[in-house]
Amino acid sequence: MVKRLKRIIAEYVDTSQFPINATVREDGVVILEGEAPDWKTADELAHRVAKSKKVRNVINHLSCDGKSLAYIPKKELIDQGRALGTLDEADVIIVGAGVIGSGIARELSKYNLDIVVLEKGDDISQGASKANNGMIHSGNAVVPGTLKAKLNVEGNAMYSDWAADLQFEFKRIGSFGLSYNKKDRHTLWLSWIAGRLNKVPGMRFISPDTFLEMEKDVEVRPRRVLYAPTTAYVDGFEVTIALAENAAMNGVRFHLSTEVVDVDVEDGVVRGVVTDRGLVKGRLVINAAGVFADEIAAMAGDQFYTLHPRKGVIAIFDKEKKGPDRSLNGRPYVHQKNTKGGGVQRTVSGNPLWGPNAVEILDKTDLSVQPEDLDYVMGSGSVVCPGTKRSEIIASFAGIRPADYKEDFIIERSRVVRGFIHVAGIQSPGLAAAPAIAKMVEELTADELGKLSRRGDWNPIREKPVVFSKLSPEEQERLISENPLYGHIVCRCETISEGEIVDAIRRPIPAVTFDAIKRRVRATAGRCQGGFCGPRILEIIMRETGLRPEEVRKQGKDSYIVAGTIRDRCDEADCCETRASAGVSEGIAQETGAHHESD
Amino acid sequence: MKVIETDIAVIGAGPAGLAAALEASRLGKQVTLIERSDDLGGILQQCIHDGFGLVRFKKQLSGPQYAERFIEKLKASDVSLLLDTTVLSIENKVIRAVSPREGVLEIRPGAIVLAMGCRERTRSQVEIYGTRPSGVMTAGTVQRYINLEGYLPGRRAVILGSGDIGMIMARRMHLEGIEVLGVYELMPEVGGLARNVYQCLIDYDIPLHLSTTVREVFGKERLEGVRVVKVDKNRRPIEGTEEDIACDLLVLSVGLIPENELSRKAGVLISPVTQGPVLDESMMTSVPGIFAAGNVSIVFDLVDYVSDSAEAAARGAVRYLDGQAPSAEPLDVIAGENVASLLPTQYRVDYVGDELSFYLRVRKMESNVRVTLRQGKRVIKSKKQLVVRPAEMVTLTLSREDLTLIEPDTPLEIHIET
Repeated sequence: MVKRLKRIIAEYVDTSQFPINATVREDGVVILEGEAPDWKTADELAHRVAKSKKVRNVINHLSCDGKSLAYIPKKELIDQGRALGTLDEADVIIVGAGVIGSGIARELSKYNLDIVVLEKGDDISQGASKANNGMIHSGNAVVPGTLKAKLNVEGNAMYSDWAADLQFEFKRIGSFGLSYNKKDRHTLWLSWIAGRLNKVPGMRFISPDTFLEMEKDVEVRPRRVLYAPTTAYVDGFEVTIALAENAAMNGVRFHLSTEVVDVDVEDGVVRGVVTDRGLVKGRLVINAAGVFADEIAAMAGDQFYTLHPRKGVIAIFDKEKKGPDRSLNGRPYVHQKNTKGGGVQRTVSGNPLWGPNAVEILDKTDLSVQPEDLDYVMGSGSVVCPGTKRSEIIASFAGIRPADYKEDFIIERSRVVRGFIHVAGIQSPGLAAAPAIAKMVEELTADELGKLSRRGDWNPIREKPVVFSKLSPEEQERLISENPLYGHIVCRCETISEGEIVDAIRRPIPAVTFDAIKRRVRATAGRCQGGFCGPRILEIIMRETGLRPEEVRKQGKDSYIVAGTIRDRCDEADCCETRASAGVSEGIAQETGAHHESD
Repeated sequence: MKVIETDIAVIGAGPAGLAAALEASRLGKQVTLIERSDDLGGILQQCIHDGFGLVRFKKQLSGPQYAERFIEKLKASDVSLLLDTTVLSIENKVIRAVSPREGVLEIRPGAIVLAMGCRERTRSQVEIYGTRPSGVMTAGTVQRYINLEGYLPGRRAVILGSGDIGMIMARRMHLEGIEVLGVYELMPEVGGLARNVYQCLIDYDIPLHLSTTVREVFGKERLEGVRVVKVDKNRRPIEGTEEDIACDLLVLSVGLIPENELSRKAGVLISPVTQGPVLDESMMTSVPGIFAAGNVSIVFDLVDYVSDSAEAAARGAVRYLDGQAPSAEPLDVIAGENVASLLPTQYRVDYVGDELSFYLRVRKMESNVRVTLRQGKRVIKSKKQLVVRPAEMVTLTLSREDLTLIEPDTPLEIHIET
């Protein structure tokens, strides 16, 4: 196999200049090491190696300009965590509070198990779960025979129950694959074949006229249309918060802002994890750490895959913009490998959503949006919505797909240590597959821990929070009489009351950052982007939590909204001298005087 | 649900709403003034700089002082106030609002004056790439944090856009000890009033960079820096002119838009020229009985004109209630040469007011021009003006006599003639 790998490497790089080394482990895992000319080459090579016969997976330690995806232990944080002593103890430790970790937590909360979820972000759903297109794919875009294909179709079917129990916004209205000419029709046929093999229910070709009848805003007539009626749409964040809240209601403990930095293994058995906030002891670690799952695996001594971040940029338009309601995937634009390509659809809140694109990057935290990202997104969307201008975009954001080189889900018990389950490589259609993944992990958990006993008091229902603007005047009247805060509208763009914001702060997973509140109630997500309601939300967070103004965050520990108070700065010695030396006019002097009086 | 019947409902108690309510009340109508915050005066309360009231009061007042002149009169009037009350919708001229104390309210007025003001353009309306950290905010938000809340929004600031609020906040931040690194303006000329360039920037050695914009922001959590770039005359970035500036605050002063969410809900037509409602000479929208005042109609440069326009809207509403409203078919008023935006966009020849002011904004700076209102080939009114700039509003006031020259058939046109 080594010879074969050498040949493959030579196809990608000049080995005299870039001596790349491939090691084959006993378990069939190939480790690539050395300096690559650029990341694109490194990525393509690793993908090629992963396709090679008998290769279980690829660990890509190739570097570019000194950067690589190799795991480097955070020694300081490990020492800090160990020194802090025990933070918590549980039967099951779930690493990561995305849709996968939260879904597993909720599934396992049915049993008599003590469960903790550790999340390094300051809110749940901080990775791929929040930055995706919210599509619950039918299953006709995944390679038949893969785990992805199986769990996608199963998960899609399970969503109706999830939506009913957890009361999140859910629209099962189908999607379309389109072809416009003879050249691109083969992709549609491939989707059809994949759909048939994957047993996608109801998928069929429909006439372009029927399509145009269903999507009245579409003007460009396609040649052929493949209709997948089971495709549905959700808000990935809302699904995740609903799962996490329901899990928390059923006794699961969520530790936010808690980063796992090491896994304790003794004699091949997992004993717990080290976090930056102390030790968490447990019998089973479920690794649902998104794009960082390969690093958690490395901490447990069982890394057999690298997760390579693949960035996707999405553009959002105003609700009033015309466009199709269902996802349209047109293909006459530049085809990108390893993505379903992005298209045009509408979010569950009604905003047109275009994209995403797909770009391999080296930094797992790089969420920047570049002009070329939007070039691609605009190009792909313009196929079905011609004449759209870039200035119509009201928001754009990036997400990171956690992909391994086999481009399939990795859901299995560790073959090296006991008490460790990998749930890795959950990229698209991970959101669609999430219910099936939770089920599968439930079975693996029983394999690890023995037969699980059901709790008698498990409550699967998570009630939807109040959405004031959607209530009838009578219901609004009743709510305000019970709690006057519902009569105080804080966000005028989205008509959100103070009562709803306080609810978000007080729910089972408290929302105490600007972004956490935005994702739950949409405040600051409207046309003014928080310009008007921002200062009011700051006050509400301070009142409800007791935080000082400079302690309130947008998202992340350094994301302060304000740097402090003017008064604090005035207490610094040079303040009034600066004013005097600035040569203030009379009007300004008055202004300054007033300022000191009001202090 | 409480139902309130009133002659005229005014929505918003900023400078426009205050003036409209007072004028309608002075003319003997029962007025209900609806304001979503606890205070009267709207944005004026955070505008603690001076320069308000030069036209109306021949004095340099601060924002709160200007507001106070109206608030005192209002308190002495019989205008009913609904504070802390947010309007949710207007349907068939019935207003639905909520307040913590009153619950859901239904207000049934004879006429409505929309006086919600304007809002700031945000990051999403300018082409800025990069990350989405905290520390990117509009000038109005920064103003509120500093002047009303007493917070320090950051320590090292870059300002994008040389609108008036941007320049005023450059000075304000400098005085509060925030390091103001520069004001960057995409256009080749400054966006705000000339006096503010001197009083807010030059006096404090704050650099102004024209034909330069912020292209990208850095920072994963808090803003860490911005990339500025020079632009060519088509406003496209010039490669090789990029410069990275470390800062933790990006202040956006990139324009104002009339606030018309409620107007849309009420079904009024929005003009693509002003981005406010299509208005006739009495400030009436396309929905009979609904009027617009102040920055809802067009973004004014001076608050004095906001008050004037609001009084005109109030008079229009009173005449409408009294059944003296003009009824002729409206003539369109067309934005001609170098006119970017104007008010009103319609005129009826049976207008019953004493005089009528046209307000316009120009596209580009020009000197030694004539501002001319024409009907076909006939000149109705023309005046000389030394210089016109996009930042400064141009007014053309017609007397009753001038107005009689207008005939009921051909559209009117306003041009800036060189």
